[in-house]
Amino acid sequence: MTDPKSRVSGRDGSHEPRRFVTLDVWRDGHVGWLVFDRPDRGNAMDATMLAELEAAWRELDADPEVRVIVNTGNGPAFQTGLDVAQLAQDREALREQSRRTRRAELKLTAWHNQVWKPVVAAVNGTCAGGGLHFVADADVVIAVGDATFLDPHVSIGQVSAYEVIGLARKSPMEAVVRMAFTGRHERLTAERARQLGVLSEVVDPAALRDRAAELAGLIARNSPAAMAATKRALWGALEVGLTEACRRGAQELMGMWGHPDQAEGPAAWAERREPRWATTTT
Amino acid sequence: MGNYDHLIVERHGPVGWLINDRPDQLNAMNARMRDEFADAWKELDADPAVRVIVHTGNGRAFQTGVDVSEIASDGVGMQRYRQSMEDFDVHFTAWHQEVWKPVITAVNGICAGGGFHWVADADIVICASDSQFFDPHVSIGQVVSIEAIGLMRKIPVEAVMRMAFVGRHERMSAPRAYELGMVSEVVDPPEQLRERAQALGETIARNSPAALAATKRALMGALELGLTDACKAGAGELVSLWGHPDQAEGPAAWAEKRDPDWVPPT
Repeated sequence: MTDPKSRVSGRDGSHEPRRFVTLDVWRDGHVGWLVFDRPDRGNAMDATMLAELEAAWRELDADPEVRVIVNTGNGPAFQTGLDVAQLAQDREALREQSRRTRRAELKLTAWHNQVWKPVVAAVNGTCAGGGLHFVADADVVIAVGDATFLDPHVSIGQVSAYEVIGLARKSPMEAVVRMAFTGRHERLTAERARQLGVLSEVVDPAALRDRAAELAGLIARNSPAAMAATKRALWGALEVGLTEACRRGAQELMGMWGHPDQAEGPAAWAERREPRWATTTT
Repeated sequence: MGNYDHLIVERHGPVGWLINDRPDQLNAMNARMRDEFADAWKELDADPAVRVIVHTGNGRAFQTGVDVSEIASDGVGMQRYRQSMEDFDVHFTAWHQEVWKPVITAVNGICAGGGFHWVADADIVICASDSQFFDPHVSIGQVVSIEAIGLMRKIPVEAVMRMAFVGRHERMSAPRAYELGMVSEVVDPPEQLRERAQALGETIARNSPAALAATKRALMGALELGLTDACKAGAGELVSLWGHPDQAEGPAAWAEKRDPDWVPPT
């Protein structure tokens, strides 16, 4: 658990004592950071990272001070998927991952771990293969101008499914299928991804974390309870038909009626001050 | 024919107009306006002379959703809508009212919060170049759901989530809405918006009303189902028009180089 009194920032180098081997995890104000930290391996997910991801999402989700989570990577790559070479040496870890994949019980992303706080993916470079999970399952995505997106699964004889299915629900399908079928032989650029609405903003590499922090800070000004209900309604809508989704969405909507934030929001607006939102517990 | 305080209903040729008319409240929807929408859509839908409907607003806003000042001051608040929300039995957009005529939303300025209902539920959306889009629900402690759910079936999801979570602290421009495909045309200068909407409405009105209605049922129905089931249901709509007089009239008019004389909408 992060000590709420200690303001720890990765940007100025003052990390708190490392608790994760393959991730940097910290909180800065209301923003939680989950940073892939295997820079010399393209941040590929080995057995340790697979275990740590689940723990890190749960920790940030459980911390009531964290209202928004930024997910980015150290080094030139954002995420390049499973570290197949390392996993092959760790038979037990590989078996566990295969079991989870087969049963659709992956715990890699915020969505897999049922995190209902807003998640901003800040893509700092190459995002390949399984790395696309973290784009597909984020709420808001921004990227540096030289970030590239590719899905080499079929170039090494693997099938691409989960991450591509998720992306195809969220953005124009042709672009997603093209990426799946061209494999390692073509890359989607950040600017094209922005045009397609896969992401909403392209930023200068030196400014990525500042911009992500700024954007997360804006989001953190909104009601945590309203955002959680909104996220449940909108992600839930990807599961069912339109009318049924709206019906279920209406339940989430009414779930907030009578919540203290619904009086505090307009009151703060009228008094021209920042709202004091209720602290959420998950 | 309806009597409206907060809406204006007009007809220009084959195009029916539904105009939000509470400009001083940025066309925010109070309880009265909500009821008037239900009547106005039905009135235009029932009029066989109307083939296409344009929806726009007076003043500097298109629509800004539920009238928060009414909610805050009338002692009833959102509770007045509880039953209709529990049953998802709402009646303020063309989709809610099962209007199968083509609907063009012409966004004339600010479109905020609940205003997205009429963007999500329109068939075609165009906007004035000075339009701005944002969703302040979570900034005042409200949940966004129904209008965003509709929108995210039709445009990239990330853009919808970003608006939902950033709330009132960021606005989307007309050019970005165009890039994303949320609108298909940005009208510049803004003053030409209605002229352009009328022209687009007249263009659509040249097509078979029966074929337009069946096409709309097929495509909106597809948002309810998986791909294969949607295609099967769509095939039903397709076949339903076989033998309809418009299917002979269309090719005949084409061969005779004249405008088709369609069966009026029913």
